[in-house]
Amino acid sequence: MANTLLEISELKMHFHTDKGVVKAVDGVDITVREGEIVGLVGESGCGKSVTSLSVMGLVPQPPGKIAGGSIKFNGKELTTLSAKELQKLRGNEMAMIFQEPMTSLNPVFTIGNQMVEAIRLHKKEVSKQEARALALEALKSVGIARDGVLDEYPHQLSGGMRQRVMIAMAMVCNPKLLIADEPTTALDVTIQAQILDLMRKLNKETNTAILMITHDLGVVAELCERVIVMYAGQVVEEADVRTLFKNPKHPYTAGLLKSIPQLDQRRKRLYSIPGNVPNPRNMPKGCRFAPRCEFAMEVCREKEPELSPIEKNHISRCWLHSEQKEEADRDIVGNTASSS
Amino acid sequence: MCGGIAVRNAAVFSPCPDASVLFDPVLDKETVLNGKAGEIVIAYAIRRVLMLIPVLIGMSIITFSIVHAIPGSPAQAILGDRANPEAVKQLNESMGLNDPLYVQYFRYLGNVLQGDLGTSYKTGRPILDEIGPYLAATVELAVMAMIIAVFFGVNLGILSAWRQNSAIDYTSMVIALIGVSMPIFWLGLLEQWVFAQELGWLPSNGRIDPRMTFESITHFYFIDALIQGDFYALQDAFNHIWLPAIALGTIPMAIIARMTRSSMLEVMRSDYIRTARAKGVGEVLIVYKHALKNAFIPILTVFGLQMGLLLGGAVLTETIFSWPGIGRYLYDAIVSRDYPVIQSGILVIATIFVLINLIVDLLYAYVDPRIQYGKE
Ligand SMILES: Nc1ncnc2c1ncn2[C@@H]1O[C@H](COP(=O)(O)OP(=O)(O)OP(=O)(O)O)[C@@H](O)[C@H]1O
Ligand code: SF4
Ligand SMILES: [Mg+2]
Repeated sequence: MANTLLEISELKMHFHTDKGVVKAVDGVDITVREGEIVGLVGESGCGKSVTSLSVMGLVPQPPGKIAGGSIKFNGKELTTLSAKELQKLRGNEMAMIFQEPMTSLNPVFTIGNQMVEAIRLHKKEVSKQEARALALEALKSVGIARDGVLDEYPHQLSGGMRQRVMIAMAMVCNPKLLIADEPTTALDVTIQAQILDLMRKLNKETNTAILMITHDLGVVAELCERVIVMYAGQVVEEADVRTLFKNPKHPYTAGLLKSIPQLDQRRKRLYSIPGNVPNPRNMPKGCRFAPRCEFAMEVCREKEPELSPIEKNHISRCWLHSEQKEEADRDIVGNTASSS
Repeated sequence: MCGGIAVRNAAVFSPCPDASVLFDPVLDKETVLNGKAGEIVIAYAIRRVLMLIPVLIGMSIITFSIVHAIPGSPAQAILGDRANPEAVKQLNESMGLNDPLYVQYFRYLGNVLQGDLGTSYKTGRPILDEIGPYLAATVELAVMAMIIAVFFGVNLGILSAWRQNSAIDYTSMVIALIGVSMPIFWLGLLEQWVFAQELGWLPSNGRIDPRMTFESITHFYFIDALIQGDFYALQDAFNHIWLPAIALGTIPMAIIARMTRSSMLEVMRSDYIRTARAKGVGEVLIVYKHALKNAFIPILTVFGLQMGLLLGGAVLTETIFSWPGIGRYLYDAIVSRDYPVIQSGILVIATIFVLINLIVDLLYAYVDPRIQYGKE
């Protein structure tokens, strides 16, 4: 098996706001190996972006604060790295692309200027001319062959083209890891498919690992080898794609899968998980999914389940599959007995 | 699509929307290579200059009316208070001041159109010949004041935005608040008292040491000193300009600082700044390259308006520091009821004001490539 490239363990990123502490990321474990494509899914607000921004060191601090855990990238501990050191890694060994292609490029500089900057920031020895040649090459590899594109401004390109430019810019220094935060959400379906193809191609050619953040399970099915499901700031399930789609263990994952529209049930109403995501300022005690879970038991409302293996390469955070359940049950019974 | 400076896809110099096919408004590479971009900008500039005509005619009517509403006659002013009423009447008659107002106005307008700004009652010299040195003095002062205002204003604003709600931020904004609310005459007198009288570091008035044998060719003393390689004069000119330039630049500095702060705060939150960070761009480059060029668009507007005001409204500063500029020239003209000078002076200032705003509009395109020269 390939070497581990990124290892996030027990990461906690909290925001200290006027209205209280927002535990946006509260115990996240993610491992990405070299050359792998990993999907990170979950409802809006579950902390996917904050997790990835934490890896890049792009969470504004304050209000953000790492309240615990570690991020190891290529053997280096990022949470204790100086700002300067992190800056050297960004765009060089790890790169990121974002959801909003329309606004992610600087409107007042040409594509060429922005690409050349990305190259020369990390490769000081490259001349401007060489950098332009490299930039053009990178743009060709993402399917922009148009002559003179280097001298164009972002507003002269379509959304899909801009996302391609973003990808080219991210890939131009051959990063080991590319974090893609919903790169296709803002694009229409055909362009989405093209961008996904492109990412798969780049992954094959350059062996860049991709952490693909999305709330679209279709994207995951198409692109990823392994999936991590997040709920309310925590990882709740992780498995390889096939296992997860065939045999989801966590009730939240099952709910997500049920809510994908399927061809043969077109006429039925689309399933959606009842209830709402919990307020990150006020997480429920016990399992965070309990208020919305049809299998919720007494223990679920009292004690938080731990992320624990179910079978090989399949882990989940749910009392239903936890070996410690009986023990926990006993504790609760004991507690209630003694308190009454 | 028919709004002022229209963004992308707007028709250029054409009624929206049909004629838009005729002109591709996007300054793409081919357009630039063919030199069409230059043509578009020049055509826009010409159109704007033509649009100045009605504006300036309006201005001339207004100044003409105001000047003639002021009680007291110029003949009286020329001849003095104890002059013989008969002589006053005669002089009025010979200067055409008894003609109907509209006749006087059209006479004046006709002359202006022929490049004749009239003759000063007071000195008897053509205003066109006389106004140059005053104008140069004012421009020199205004430019210097604006350099100070932009340099300190922009950096103060950046500093504030960079450390929002910190002690730095509050201090800068208090400075800015004092800056806008400080009366210029008071600031000027304070400067003179501290730096000229008490410390004796800088001269308190004038443009240059009158004992200096200095020949002015262009009337811009800095340029003159440089052409002649007279560095002593250059130094002296600098010494003289500091105090009035600071007095004059304080209000624009404060306004620019506040504008920069709010503009930077907004820009720093944007997605492309996050992208720049993700690329590994350092903080200094983020602020001065990626953010500032974007933040500059609203700053430029303030700059244009303030520059116009400085050129026309430096009367107080010029009076306090005995700066022989256009403000002083006008002030003296008003005191002596020198009608032609008042009219033409205001007209010149108004023209400059409008021209500066035109230049600023053209500069927008340099700063923001999304801006197209669309229909007004
Ligand atoms: N700067 C911040 N200050 C305070 N709270 C924040 C900040 N940034 C994010 N949060 C909070 O962190 C939580 C997680 O946000 P995040 O953007 O990671 O969600 P997400 O999973 O990426 O959702 P989406 O699918 O909508 O992008 C949200 O509740 C959000 O309000
Ligand atoms: S722990 Fe309980 S509430 Fe939570 S998901 Fe599992 S069964 Fe549902
Ligand atoms: Mg997000």
